Amino acid sequence: MDSIVQIFFDSMFIKNMVFSYFLGMCSYLAVSKTVKTATGLGIAVVFVMGITVPVNYLLNRYVLSEGALAWLSPDFAGMDLGFLSFIIFIAVIASIVQLVEMVVEKFAPALYSSLGIFLPLIAVNCAILGASLFMQKADYQTLGQATAYGLGSGLGWFVAIVCIAAIREKMKYSDVPKPLRGLGIAFLLTGLLGFAFMAFTGFKL
Amino acid sequence: MEGKKINRNGNLYTFIYATVLVVLVATLLALCATGLKPRQQQNIEAEAKQQILNTIGIQTTADEAQAAFERYVGERYAVSRSGAVNQQADAFYLNLKSELAKSEHEQQLPVFQATMPDGQRKYIVPVRGNGLWGEIWGYVALNDDLSTIYGIVFDHESETPGLGAEITAPAFCKQFEGKTIFEGAQLTSVAVVKGGAHPDDPHAVDAISGGTITSNGVQDMLQRSLERYSAYFSSIREQQARAAMAADTLAAADSLLQPAIEPGAMSNQH
Amino acid sequence: MSEAKGKQSWFGAAHRKLLAEPIGIKNPVTVLVLGICSALAVTAKLQPAVVMAVSVTAVTAVSNLVLSLLRRTIPNRIRIIVQLIIVAALVTVVSEVLKAFAYDVSKQLSVFVGLIITNCIIMGRIEAFALGNGPWASFIDGIGNGLGYGMILVIVAFFRELLGSGTLWGYRVIPEGLYAANGGFYENNGLVIMPPMALIFVGAIIWIQRKRNKNLMEE
Repeated sequence: MDSIVQIFFDSMFIKNMVFSYFLGMCSYLAVSKTVKTATGLGIAVVFVMGITVPVNYLLNRYVLSEGALAWLSPDFAGMDLGFLSFIIFIAVIASIVQLVEMVVEKFAPALYSSLGIFLPLIAVNCAILGASLFMQKADYQTLGQATAYGLGSGLGWFVAIVCIAAIREKMKYSDVPKPLRGLGIAFLLTGLLGFAFMAFTGFKL
Repeated sequence: MEGKKINRNGNLYTFIYATVLVVLVATLLALCATGLKPRQQQNIEAEAKQQILNTIGIQTTADEAQAAFERYVGERYAVSRSGAVNQQADAFYLNLKSELAKSEHEQQLPVFQATMPDGQRKYIVPVRGNGLWGEIWGYVALNDDLSTIYGIVFDHESETPGLGAEITAPAFCKQFEGKTIFEGAQLTSVAVVKGGAHPDDPHAVDAISGGTITSNGVQDMLQRSLERYSAYFSSIREQQARAAMAADTLAAADSLLQPAIEPGAMSNQH
Repeated sequence: MSEAKGKQSWFGAAHRKLLAEPIGIKNPVTVLVLGICSALAVTAKLQPAVVMAVSVTAVTAVSNLVLSLLRRTIPNRIRIIVQLIIVAALVTVVSEVLKAFAYDVSKQLSVFVGLIITNCIIMGRIEAFALGNGPWASFIDGIGNGLGYGMILVIVAFFRELLGSGTLWGYRVIPEGLYAANGGFYENNGLVIMPPMALIFVGAIIWIQRKRNKNLMEE
């Protein structure tokens, strides 16, 4: 299994949520008109992914996967609750988002006023659920690896949205064909950025 | 439930609603999952059996895989890293992935022995490794000499379609046929060479253009997986060599009139 | 709440409109910018794209139906969670059924089946339509939006498979003889298979659609 650093780097650049899996595209396109809001949403995503992926990792490891309940009693060794993964993961994400919202509101009102509006958006951001599902598929051995994956994916998403927002800000001064303005050019740009990120493919630290 | 008077924001209502919903949904899913489980299991097993049969050139449908598998792949056992055979284990139900997670001396590696319609014996071993995006795995069928590859199949989790995913294509797998994994007593495995292997090289095949990392993954996977079996393979090869040598000596003794065996003959027996 | 719609006949004009609009001028992907997330990674080949389209249509329609039936009972505070749980349950059923009856395709779709849950089309239509309309209208709306989404998926997958692999639905369309390897002149376009190319195709579809329908243009 790869080292934590490698997993972090991989998930941030190579297996980038936006450029190679197109996850979280809805909010990615909707909130990338200015760098400021993009940064806000990006940070919120890093935050939530960094928490939900390790939590879901523990749940997957000790509750959901086949034979995972063996620690409770040997009788449960044959149980496979895998079919509950989707529900549990999404419930965990929704409740953690709510929890984070409350905690941030109470202890960091300044942060809340800048992040607050984005947090509810995040529960239905596919990138967050995607990170948990990919984590489950990748079968990481330790909590550290899973955390590295969660943080890396979140940062990858952050980089992607800030990148596109910066470009879109500059795009205002460009003469884009009328029918392509807005959404169309954003798609093309994301595609081109995706090709650029493919240069990282196979990069080993 | 069209309650007009019930307070939809009350704590009690919310709590009861959530509980009922969760119980209902969980029951429904549990029923659905347990009902479909046998079929899913069957799909997974049929696929593995089809792949194993593919390595010895037998194509079956998922429905016929079971019968064909029983007919051809009679012997299934496990070997340890040091080459000790465990006849008790059924190779088909050993999970290579969880075995590899164990410490080296506890690992039980699956071996399948197939008997071809013409009576020839083939050894089939599973291989497992990493490609670009996820895991790759496959089965390697070896001739009786435990060196010449008779057939090979690969599968993958999520390689790039059209590039890395081409490792499953017959064109790629065909290349391996007739290649050898031993040079003398030394395990060489088979290299997957970018830019094309020399056609006469018995230990190398061409990589997939545009699928360099997956190709390297295949090379790595073969090297590492076959190495785990090398103790077992070598022990059988030594037995065979001794038997062949004994037969040669016998033959030589029998035909005193014939000239001495030429020097190269012995190693050709491999 | 536009309950009046529910009083029309089952396939009245209003319902037909609900079905047709999302396929054209109210397309969820190219106009409303919903549901791109889990969509594009499955468009390198036609078959998984079609299965994905059918799965999403089924989930959107059924979840719209169920939530429209439940709409007067759901406690406000846990509304989003209730929606997510019902959608997640339906997606789990789809995923288990695929694993049992379409094993090959379910392997190709891998985690993207699970990601239907967070497909914004589903949550978007529940919030915007099902919670305020009758069950039948919601069901039709779900089907319409699912099809509108599926259409984009299938168009993209059609071109990507044709240009990238020279096949359609796994069957060879461009004859082997034309390929450079067999003495011809043709090569598959490897670039089309790459993930980012899906975005470029969608960008092109948007371009064409907006060229033809000036109302959709943005400033």
